[in-house]
Amino acid sequence: MVTWNTLWLFALLAWICWTVAAVLSLRGKRQKAVYLLTICGLLIFGSYIAMMWISLGHPPMRTMGETRLWYSLFLPLVGLITYSRWHYRWILSFSTLLSTVFICINILKPEIHSKELMPALQSPWFAPHVIIYMFAYATTGVATLMALWQLCKKQDQLAAIDNLTRVGLSFLTIGMLFGALWAKEAWGTYWSWDPKETWAAATWMCYLIYVHLRKSRPDAVTPALLWQVVCFMCLQMCWWGINYLPSAQGASVHTYGG
Amino acid sequence: MKRWGLTLGSFICCGLVAVGMLLQLTVGPVRWDAMAWPANIIVLAVLLLGIISMHLLRKKVRLFRWMATLQAGIPAMVACAMLTVLMGVTRQIPSGHQPMEPIGITSMLTFWPFVLSYTWLVVLVGMVCMTRLVQPSLQSIPFLLNHLGLFIALVAGTLGAADMQDLRMVVQEGKTEWRAVDAQHRVHQLPIAIELHDFSMELHETSLAPKSYSSAVTVYTKRGSSVDDTIRVNKPLAVHGWKIYQYSYDEARGQESDISVFELVRDPWLPYVYIGIFMMLAGALSIFIGKKW
Repeated sequence: MVTWNTLWLFALLAWICWTVAAVLSLRGKRQKAVYLLTICGLLIFGSYIAMMWISLGHPPMRTMGETRLWYSLFLPLVGLITYSRWHYRWILSFSTLLSTVFICINILKPEIHSKELMPALQSPWFAPHVIIYMFAYATTGVATLMALWQLCKKQDQLAAIDNLTRVGLSFLTIGMLFGALWAKEAWGTYWSWDPKETWAAATWMCYLIYVHLRKSRPDAVTPALLWQVVCFMCLQMCWWGINYLPSAQGASVHTYGG
Repeated sequence: MKRWGLTLGSFICCGLVAVGMLLQLTVGPVRWDAMAWPANIIVLAVLLLGIISMHLLRKKVRLFRWMATLQAGIPAMVACAMLTVLMGVTRQIPSGHQPMEPIGITSMLTFWPFVLSYTWLVVLVGMVCMTRLVQPSLQSIPFLLNHLGLFIALVAGTLGAADMQDLRMVVQEGKTEWRAVDAQHRVHQLPIAIELHDFSMELHETSLAPKSYSSAVTVYTKRGSSVDDTIRVNKPLAVHGWKIYQYSYDEARGQESDISVFELVRDPWLPYVYIGIFMMLAGALSIFIGKKW
């Protein structure tokens, strides 16, 4: 019988695999070992989720703790996909670090597991919607950090920033459309312009502007970098800023913790 | 050329906002309910014909050629983003109510500058899709999935909104009902009728709170066909474009209720919105997987 008490064992084994792979890729060594170790970690962590699934009798997606299990699994997976695509040496360290944060929360705050989600969130759309958005937030966050770095230190990072922005934008799009399909099924409308949705639309549009601006004026580097920062500020507003926005009080089904 | 294009785009967006303000002050907020069938199909035809004819005239008219460029699109996106941010920082009133202030920004969806800016953006997206559609190539597929998908989803979703019906119908056991009421308590006669045979409810063993409830029904259509089925919570029945949801019952009588309340939803433009959404999903995947941008 697999329970939350055995999570630490599986998580530790997977974390060792991912960390060794991240260090190897950071040094640019042993490509095969990087892939093998990351996949090995994914299998270990994935098998824990599979066993949880069997012992619960339903997919583990019903509580915040259970959805965090999926983040912890998907982050290194998407990190590996990105790595295989562009060979950024640091991406696996970054995805492993994020995954570790979610694993630690799950191990240190086990009381959250027993809490049930509110009825509206008990949907198969919930986990993918949130996981995809979280990954988009993560990639665009890195893109912004790199933009700030380039603005201060004048080191050319623009190609990587563009790639990360496009990945982030494609995930923002998927997360948003999953949300729309979910809303249609649950509430009868795809888009009700509640404050979170309004800010999601504004954020999406800002990143669209970035992508088109880069295509239109490839030489305008500083405006693009500054716009990248504006996009991320818009994203922060969408993610948690609206919780403090007077115009959004009591008007959103999306505010956390209420 | 590029500078000129961006300047023109900015001027047009400012002009649209100004014209929108004038319209807002003279004719009042946008009346979306006037967009119900057949007005929406006429607007759609005018929109598509306009885009196609502007595309055909692009060699003669420089303005139409410019409309399919990034220099036209970026100012339009900026205008829409700015109005959306404005919407995000102002408290919005529920749909169907009048704005709280004289300008109209508390009801952004009926605010003319907002509607005109988004319409302009949609026209530009349509124009740029045309340039790719007339020269089909494999390289254009991701581009078309993203742009045409957005065009279809926005146009179908917006024009179709007024045709969506969301009604409540109360049926007594043993009776057949074909009338239902909308949110404004107006009675509608429907092309389908529901005969309720039996309403039944299961209770939780300990709390005696309702666990699940369902209605055994026969649904008749005007064409003479009929369907027998049981409608449960989260298990709607689809008949002739209508989706029938188990909604409520006589809560005072609980398990003994001899009535059942159904929610009936009709959304004829839904398939087109879904086509747009799935095209955009495929487009987003193609950005991530695609080899070259």
